[in-house]
Order: sequence, then C-alpha cells, then structure tokens
Amino acid sequence: MATLAEEQGLVHRYGRHLSLGAEPTSLLWLGTTAAVALGDGSVRWIADDEDTHETPVHAGAILTACRHPDGAAIVTGGDDGRVCRVALDGTVTELGRFERKWVEHLVASSASGLIVAGVGKEAVAWIKGARAPSHRYAVGSTVGGLALDGKGKRLGIAHYNGATLVYGTNAGSGRVALNWVGSHLACTMSSDGRYLVTALQETGLHGWQLPELRDMRMSGYSAKTRSFSWDRKGKWLATSGDMRAILWPFEGKTGPMGKAPLMLAERKGTAVTQVAFHPGGEIIATGYSDGAVLLARLADDVTILIDAGEADGRGTSITVMDWNDEGTRLGWGEENGRVGILNMETRT
Amino acid sequence: MADQATIPVTVLTGYLGAGKTTLLNRILSENHGRKYAVIVNEFGEIGIDNDLIVDADEEVFEMNNGCICCTVRGDLIRIIEGLMKRRDSFDAIVIETTGLADPAPVAQTFFVDDDVRARASLDAIVTVVDARHVEARLEDSHEAEEQIAFADVILLNKTDLVDGQELERVRQRVRSINGHAKMHETQNCDVALEEVLERGAFDLDRILEIEPGFLGEEGHEHDDNIASVSLSSDAAIRPELFMPWLRKLTAQQGQDILRLKGILAFPGEEQRYVVQGVHMLLEGDHQRDWKPDEARTSRMVFIGRNLDTAALQKGFDACAVRAA
Repeated sequence: MATLAEEQGLVHRYGRHLSLGAEPTSLLWLGTTAAVALGDGSVRWIADDEDTHETPVHAGAILTACRHPDGAAIVTGGDDGRVCRVALDGTVTELGRFERKWVEHLVASSASGLIVAGVGKEAVAWIKGARAPSHRYAVGSTVGGLALDGKGKRLGIAHYNGATLVYGTNAGSGRVALNWVGSHLACTMSSDGRYLVTALQETGLHGWQLPELRDMRMSGYSAKTRSFSWDRKGKWLATSGDMRAILWPFEGKTGPMGKAPLMLAERKGTAVTQVAFHPGGEIIATGYSDGAVLLARLADDVTILIDAGEADGRGTSITVMDWNDEGTRLGWGEENGRVGILNMETRT
Repeated sequence: MADQATIPVTVLTGYLGAGKTTLLNRILSENHGRKYAVIVNEFGEIGIDNDLIVDADEEVFEMNNGCICCTVRGDLIRIIEGLMKRRDSFDAIVIETTGLADPAPVAQTFFVDDDVRARASLDAIVTVVDARHVEARLEDSHEAEEQIAFADVILLNKTDLVDGQELERVRQRVRSINGHAKMHETQNCDVALEEVLERGAFDLDRILEIEPGFLGEEGHEHDDNIASVSLSSDAAIRPELFMPWLRKLTAQQGQDILRLKGILAFPGEEQRYVVQGVHMLLEGDHQRDWKPDEARTSRMVFIGRNLDTAALQKGFDACAVRAA
C-alpha cells in the first residue's frame, strides 16, 4: 500500500504546512529561516520547529522583495510606495518612500552591495550601504522587470518595446538600448552578463546575447513566464509558463540559438508557475497552478512528489518558491496563503 | 465568462467636464457598505480619501499578436494583478479613464490577458455624457462617439442645462450611436448607484429587450457614424455554423465592429450561450439555463461603423436551424 508520503508528497513526512492567511508574494531564505512577504503587508518568519512570527512592514501589499546584500535582512517594496530593510530580528528601516507609486520590482547583489527598485518609470538604485536612494535611471515606460549580473553591476531594465542596460553602480552610466517590439515583463541576466532574457506579455521569451546584441526568440509557451531559475553553472535557464518546466541550454558560444529546450516534469491538466534549481544543479523544483510541487532530475526526468496540493480542486497557484543556499530546505507558497517547507536535513 | 470568483470591474468614461469625477466622488462617499479599489487617471481630481486609490498612467500597448487593432492597457494588467495580492481589502474595482481615452484598449484588456480574465471581469462600461456639449464633441472627436458606443450604461448628464427640444435631439443622437445601453437622464449624476455598479449579467440581458428592427431602420447613411444593429432569430442557432461565421466576420470587419453581444439558443441545449466581442476579440460561454417561460429567441447586437444590417441579418439567419 502506498504511504501517505507517496500519495500526498514528501512534505508530509519531512516538512510542514502553514496557513498564513494572505497571498505570499516572495519567499526568501536567510540561512535556515524563511522570510515570506505577504499581500497583507507583513513579513512572516518561519524557522525550524518554531512558531512563525510576524513583522508588519507595509500599509498595503508587499509587491516584491529580495535578499539584502548583507545577508541578514530582506528588502521589501510595497503598494504604499515604501522600500524597507526588514531584519531577522524584526527591525524595519525605511530606505525610500515614493508617494502614490507602487514599488513592483527589487533586485540586490551581495557582490556589489547594490539594491535596485522598479518604481513607475524609474529604476532607483542604492549603492552599497546607502540608506537613501543614490541615483535613478528613467526609462520611457513602466519598468516591467529588473535583473543584475553575477557581479551585481550590469543592470537590465525591461520595459515596453525592449530593455535598457546600464552599469547600476554608476550614476552617470552609459546606456545600451535593446529594442524589441512588445511589452517586456519579468527579466533575468546570466551570471556572466552574456545574456539578458525577458518574458513577453504575449507569452514567450526574448533574449539578447551581449555585447553583440544578437536577438533570440524563445516561443511556444501557453502562459506568461513569471519564474526564472539558472543552475549554478549557468548551463541552464529554467522557466515557467507551460505544462512542463522549459529549460534552455546556455552552454557554448551561441546559447540556446538553434537548440531545442529540455522539457521536464509534466503534470497533466496543470501549468508550471514556479521553478527553482537546487543549488547542486542536477535537480529542479517545480510548482504548479493546482498547488502541487515536484522535484525533477534533469538527467532522466524522474520526478518525486513533494506536495500533491489540496484535494478537491481547492489548491491554488504556487506563487513563490525557493531553496536555501545549502539546498537543505525548499519553501513554497500558494495564492491562498498556504505555505510548505520541506526540510531535507531531517532525512539523515 | 465571469464566474463567481472574479472581481467585478466598472469602467467610467466620458468626455472632459461631463461629470465623471462627480460620479466617482459619489461612489466613494456614499454609504453603500461596499469597498472599492479605484484606479484613477493621473489628471484626475479625486476629492475623497480612499484607502485604495491607485494612479494609472494609461499606458496603451499594442499586442504583438498579429491582430492589428489589438491594444491593451499595460498599466491595468499590472495594477489588477497587484491589487489581487490584497483582494480581501476590496469588493470591486472602479476604473476612471481620461476624457480623451479610447475605451477599446480598456475593454480589450479584459479579453486578452489570461491572468486578468482569471481574476477580474468587466462588469459595465459607464459613460457620462454632457447633454449640453455632446453635440459639439461628437463633431470634433472620435473618442466622444466611441465612449458612447462602448457603453453599457449611459448617464445623459446636465439635463438641466438644455431645453426640452435640445434634450430630445441629444437623446436621439445618443440612441442612434448606441441603442442597447441603459440610459439615465441626470443632473449632478444623480442616479442610484446600483444602476451603475456591479450589474453583472443584467446588462447583457438588455439586448433581449430591444425590439428587433427598432434600430438602424431609417435608410443607412454611408458615413463614418457609429450605429447599432440588432438581429434576432426565433429558430435555434447551429453553433457549427455560427462560430465560423462570427469568427470570419470579426476577422474581416473587426476594425469597424466596436462591440458585439449575443445571447443564443443552440439546438437541444438547456443553457443560454452568450458571446461578447471587442473589435476582433471574441469570447463566449454557457451562461445559465433558459427559464421555462422564456422565449428561446437568439439575439445579437453589433455597434460599429459601416455595418450592413441586411447582410448581417442574412448571415445570422443562415446559421439558424431550418424549419422542417
């Protein structure tokens, strides 16, 4: 007979579920503690075997969050126009306030110490250690997404009809215009800064190989891509937006051009909404529109059920998912506020 | 189609000075027990404090999908998605557009974007018309005409500023552009708010109330004016003929068809099928059971330019089940 863990997922044996009562908009790990940013404006901290505790931060929803470059806090952006540093101990420090604006995108780099927020038609930058905005880059339309390279210097800003590249640490940086018709949303940059990839409103991806500015089109998706994940070596870019996780090969001189993607972890009747590479690189976690979570092995597409989601169609889309740096814990959250934590350390 | 879980969205349009802000302030200040998230344009002058007022910048994006007239409001897609992260804090959404806005991109946003469709549904487009100035506006602006054409509800406002003869002329003019909208004649937008907000399928049913032939009968002037055409059939409509006909029609004449709506009886089906469209975009779904005493009449309304009533009726009739 199948065990509970086999039927409903490993989380039932090696983890736990929590109900947070609001939509998770980010899930970030600080060591072994997960910080979950929520649509009710609070951050919920989830540590092993402890009750969660709550830090109220924003008046409205937290729309975006990233890890603070110092690794001891997260940075949050809200629909109240504030950008805040929220530390593990619950200390909240306001880094910026943009009246009547929404802060919809945040990226930061531990390598450079840079923090960048997407606020309306501007990318606003804080250089290392700054407690107030250092400089801004205006683009012609609302910022659709932000991405930094591995050094945390090259900044990609996605917007309508393309993207703009700047050196984010440099206020007077020159700009490279990357033009492509359409509304460009979420974006990501390869660690070596060779590729910027954006997700399009019409579904599908557009990529630019840098510095040659060679265009790449990656199409065939059934929904908008909202989640990107690079493996540690930069060999694969995993993406959401279809029935399966779509992985594009970025090895070699021309990246995915002319190559077929790897398609993994199909789950009938649902769509992949979140992807997260295990730090080891051979396994990927996939979250689905019905609240389910799987692990899939790249080599042979063997999958393990982590969470079957709630039964009777009560499951909702996985909106956030990430591994901690050591790869010992996976956290995910779905639209209805249900959060799952898998703790692989307890297995050994 | 809207299901129970989606948030109703009301769009307020109207030319500058027609009274949109008056109506919006009433919506926000009246004690109706409902909470509205309000998306205002950047030139709006909202005098009321509301927790959830969001500034929109009317970013109209062309969809790169091969459909020439397909534009959407990129800012609305972002804002609706953002609002849904705190959906417990409001019951419905009201969107105010600028006076010069073309309503098509707003309406198309609710057809095109799957994520928006999953969360929100267009409840009604409410157009406020200034009775005194509308005739002049219609002379010099396409937008004024399109705002009337797109409306589900029209407030013919400032009626106190015109005499009886002028009012009758304006009434006829507005009716000639859009014969299916529910029209209220008001002075300071003084209409019961339930006539404007969260109307659900009610307005779709209005197309059943229109007498076929009431509209567009008097000889067609072949000019650029917008007009409504109403079609009906007492014989059931065959979906295998109707769907290709409608798709072809909107593919060929979509630029001229501003809106279309239909309620259809398919042979042997207990449920009404409803279709809606904006330009080339179409959506349709089964809605509810026909009531036992309800005549199973299929009806369609088209609002647009250069519509050929006879050809449309002929095309529609050709989709009907033939009498044995």
